[in-house]
Amino acid sequence: MKTFQYERPADADTAVALLADAPTGAYLGGGTNLVDLMKLGVAAPDLLVDVSRLPFDAVEETGTGGLRIGAAVRNSTLAVHPLVRERYPVLSQALLSGASTQLRNAATVGGNLLQRTRCPYFQDVGKPCNKRRPGTGCPAREGAHRDLAVLGASEHCVATNPSDMAVALAALDAIVDVASGHGPRRVPLTDLHRLPGDAPDRDTTLRHGELITAVELPPPMPGARSAYRKARDRASYAFALASVGAVLQVREGLVHHVRVAFGALAAKPWRARTAEEALLGEPATTASFDDAVRHELAAARPLRDNGYKVPLARRMAVSMLTELAAASAGGTP
Amino acid sequence: MRLRVNGREFDEEPRAGQCLRTFLRGLGWFGVKKGCDAGDCGACTVHVDGEPVHSCLYPALRARDRAVTTVEGLAPADGELHRVQRGFLDAQGFQCGFCTAGFLMTTAALDDDKRADLPRAFKGNLCRCTGYRAIEDAVRGVKHTEEPAPGESVGRNLPAPAGPQVVTGTARYTFDVAVDGLLHLKILRSPHPHARIRAIDTTRALAVPGVRAVLTHHDAPERLFSTARHEHPEEDPDDTRVLDDVVRYVGQRVAAVVADSEAAAEEGCRRVEVDYEELPYVIDPEEAMRPGAPVIHPKGDEARIARPQDNVVGETHGEVGDVEAGFAQSDVLHEQTFRTQRVQHASLETHGAVAWFEGDFDAPDGRLVVRSSTQTPFLTRRALCTLYDLPQEKVRVVAGRVGGGFGGKQEMLVEDIVVLAALRTRRPVKLEYTRPEQFFGATTRHPFTIEVKAGASRDGLLKSMRMRIVSNTGAYGNHGPAVLFHGCGESFAVYRCPNKKVDGYAVYTNTVPAGAFRGYGLGQVVFAVESVMDELARRLDLDPMEFRRRNIIAADEEMIAPGGVEEDLHIGSYGLDTCVEVVRRAIAEPDHGEAPPDGWLVGQGAALSMIATGPPGGHIADARVVLQPDGGYELSVGTAEFGNGTTTVHRQIAAGELGTTVDRVTIRQSDTDVVRHDTGAFGSTGTVVAGKATLRASQALAALVLDFAAQHLGVARESCAMAEDAVVCAGRRVPLKELYEAARTADRELAADGHFGGTPRSVAFNAQWFRVAVDPASGEIRILRSVHAADAGQVMNPMQCRGQVEGGVAQALGATLFEEVVVDERGAVTTAAFRRYHLPTYADTPRTEVHFTPTRDAIGPLGAKSMSESPFNPVAPALANALRDATGVRFTRLPLTRDRVWLGLRDHGVAREA
Repeated sequence: MKTFQYERPADADTAVALLADAPTGAYLGGGTNLVDLMKLGVAAPDLLVDVSRLPFDAVEETGTGGLRIGAAVRNSTLAVHPLVRERYPVLSQALLSGASTQLRNAATVGGNLLQRTRCPYFQDVGKPCNKRRPGTGCPAREGAHRDLAVLGASEHCVATNPSDMAVALAALDAIVDVASGHGPRRVPLTDLHRLPGDAPDRDTTLRHGELITAVELPPPMPGARSAYRKARDRASYAFALASVGAVLQVREGLVHHVRVAFGALAAKPWRARTAEEALLGEPATTASFDDAVRHELAAARPLRDNGYKVPLARRMAVSMLTELAAASAGGTP
Repeated sequence: MRLRVNGREFDEEPRAGQCLRTFLRGLGWFGVKKGCDAGDCGACTVHVDGEPVHSCLYPALRARDRAVTTVEGLAPADGELHRVQRGFLDAQGFQCGFCTAGFLMTTAALDDDKRADLPRAFKGNLCRCTGYRAIEDAVRGVKHTEEPAPGESVGRNLPAPAGPQVVTGTARYTFDVAVDGLLHLKILRSPHPHARIRAIDTTRALAVPGVRAVLTHHDAPERLFSTARHEHPEEDPDDTRVLDDVVRYVGQRVAAVVADSEAAAEEGCRRVEVDYEELPYVIDPEEAMRPGAPVIHPKGDEARIARPQDNVVGETHGEVGDVEAGFAQSDVLHEQTFRTQRVQHASLETHGAVAWFEGDFDAPDGRLVVRSSTQTPFLTRRALCTLYDLPQEKVRVVAGRVGGGFGGKQEMLVEDIVVLAALRTRRPVKLEYTRPEQFFGATTRHPFTIEVKAGASRDGLLKSMRMRIVSNTGAYGNHGPAVLFHGCGESFAVYRCPNKKVDGYAVYTNTVPAGAFRGYGLGQVVFAVESVMDELARRLDLDPMEFRRRNIIAADEEMIAPGGVEEDLHIGSYGLDTCVEVVRRAIAEPDHGEAPPDGWLVGQGAALSMIATGPPGGHIADARVVLQPDGGYELSVGTAEFGNGTTTVHRQIAAGELGTTVDRVTIRQSDTDVVRHDTGAFGSTGTVVAGKATLRASQALAALVLDFAAQHLGVARESCAMAEDAVVCAGRRVPLKELYEAARTADRELAADGHFGGTPRSVAFNAQWFRVAVDPASGEIRILRSVHAADAGQVMNPMQCRGQVEGGVAQALGATLFEEVVVDERGAVTTAAFRRYHLPTYADTPRTEVHFTPTRDAIGPLGAKSMSESPFNPVAPALANALRDATGVRFTRLPLTRDRVWLGLRDHGVAREA
């Protein structure tokens, strides 16, 4: 590992100022991804600004009935938080389906959002990768890609975003609070990550030195149900082959409000806007869910070995929405 | 910085970039293990302020002012064990024990809620040995161990001698030693699948502060050897150099940098400048055999490569009867091609060795000590001495506790370069493989392609079996020919069939070398044979187990393989029919397994296998038992303990023969100093070969002690009998302590040796049965019930033997369902981490019901047979047969990942759309 400087500032302003002066520095959250990447030689920051002990460790209700989650809150804490379990089951389920106890005890909310892809070519410094070294090429397109993107990829990159939590947050319409030398700003979660296009090295729309300070969830929709489901190679502890998070509100048998996000299909949590629009006012039935999701996934452009993801994701989404609809009708939470 | 570790204050500065694990180990807390270095395996789990974290991903600086607890600090200070440690001892929830500290730390932090959901609680901890059942029992407070009783050790559930050290983190594995002045070795590896090194410039590497030496092919002996270890080195081709000027796979050694720190050695590697002339390469074995393919080893006869120009390192051809005539006489035929993938042993302790000098090496009594994670200390010493022209007395090879092997450590993959570095620098040197190196710089199981054609008559009798087998041995031929031969042995011989034919080829390609792996070729071929038996039965409309019953060999029948008869192989006891019966009973029972989810397809399937209880050509073990001053016994055996439990069994055998309790027998082992010779811990020989030597030594000592006692007391020998701590002669009790003193006074040592040459050999039998459910919409497989029947002869330690079976089934399930070392179009491994190479976790592993047949072997010690490799072999075909039963689709390629299953179902019109 390359040697680096380590700072643990006491407040966000100092943290932001430190990184503003260090073009190749990085914030260090729980370190569960960054430390690994440093060991692999994929990341080689010359300055680490430790933000894990900044005072962003609270989970509190907002004035409007939503929830504000500090960026340094650990995944383990958030997963079992009573308000999260009660009002946002999709988030709790997503967190528990990801990683292990040991990792969740260390990983933070901010760090989880900024974790890098687990594409094998990105993680292997001996191989070309446009995300790691722009312009070197993308061997995944012809190589090992059974777990890579089917939506929104480009000829330059077919990586997926590995976060389970981000999928749930996308389905919840979360807002990300960001601090920087230019003052705070708020970014919708769905605008935080970007598709690769011709600049796959940029995972997010954040500028260098911007620091995630919190994630805000809007108030839960009355009577809505939410859930997260994940398919993977083994029964536990593996990154998703496909996952889906959804929030569904049904009134008198019709879809009143729905938000669906897919994971492991694209470089960002994939909000199924097409499906959502198609479903509004439709009967909350398997048939309409299936139609809508098919419509959404028509945009998929699978590679040689990852075409199975499309029907897999569709089936998961349709059966989950069907179950959420049944739960709405039955009145069970 | 200040921190508290296990209640003790430390004030130490971590090095830049150091993780908490390395920092803690540097402080001497060796209980914290390095398994993956990436947060995947959990072996390094410690508590920071009471919460479990992966110390490998936890920057050491973050522990400032915090309280860290490692496994060494888990027990309360009163000398009692923590209840979790007690639980792991009572249930013997470990085998090699390398993962145990991590499991203990995770378990100790569970509350009742989490304990109720172990599949989730244990997501972050991997165990490769146990199959998790014993771990679950440990957490649930189930006690399996029994108390020792004098002279009654065999057949009882006695605990492993090292258990107390394993659960307290004080067992010392290969790297758990602090050596003064230690240098670290790192390897620069080839980026090319095939290249000639035109030039290497080490100047810039040598200029890195702390770098002491850079070794290249110029420093390596010209001599060729094989990394494979066998009693007879000529079983393997001599095709390998310590460092070569031609590299033959991505990941092959190019140079070694020796430095004061790992970081300096790594920096040195980055600065070695290599000028490569790239050569044509081939990664597919069929292509490699075609005319015009690049020749990977253009070597002469002395290398013992069968046909170097064709890239064939070994081949076997043979026919008994006339297979074509047999096909003509058959009423049903089945022909299909099966493929097995590359899998890795994935022992949680990686390969590695530490070498140091005892005394001045150039002085007559000075020597080199090599502490290695090996299954074969004696053969490794022999190979090192040959390679570097050293007399045997100048080299001692010793294994500490070895953190898992599975065949992977029946190789000399690291000791050669460590010794070269130590001899060069005259300093102690350590090389510890990283987890990625384990995937691209060690060995894998041989991928096989098996074309089978078989025919049977309408009355359900096999008429003809033909196989063409191509084994991909990778860039080097270590174990290549032997694995091929073994693969086509018992797989054919277990069936009675008048016509059998095999054509087998072990072929070089420019990929990571394959090597010895649990099952030694049988697992691959059995997958094909047992799948085809299932298909023939279906064509005949016969129950597949009934079809097998009609065609398996009987107890008095000859075992015939087309490649040749093994003269010293016998059916020492016959439990094959009983294994088949166990499965048939399980099928007939009302379904009491897990219920399948709605809409899933359900099916059941089985497979059987036979395995020789040791390798052909002899396997040598020496044992020595010595009466000690305190009246106890010291047993010395050469074989290595890597979680297989042979230490437990050896102690039981000795205690039984000497009429004492196991706690009065101490063991020295895995060390070239302790006995004359031992071939090593491979070929399932720990119980049947080293155990037999132990039995003979113990019997000889018992006779000697009785003789001496009779003489000492002047009574008839017939009136004397061994007792727990004494000899009882005509009602008089003479303590063993007193006999020891008397012998010493008479200038006699009460000691005896035992020897066994590993021949003749018997065979063991296994059968596996699964009921599975398959989701036609996603290809997901769920195992509803798992039953395993094993003929292990007299089971020496049922608890431990059951653990071997459970662990074998679990490891095989990984290779059946999701494990695959994937290589890209240049042969480079793309799955070099546990997060891409998926071992079964607790949640993936069903509880297997294990049944032992009541047999007693005529050859093995006290009626025992081997049971270490064999449970692996029938698992993949049993699962594929169950999948076939559920879906109607025959899957011929492993692993059965859900995408592959889904695609297979879709192609056959079985996949259901949502």
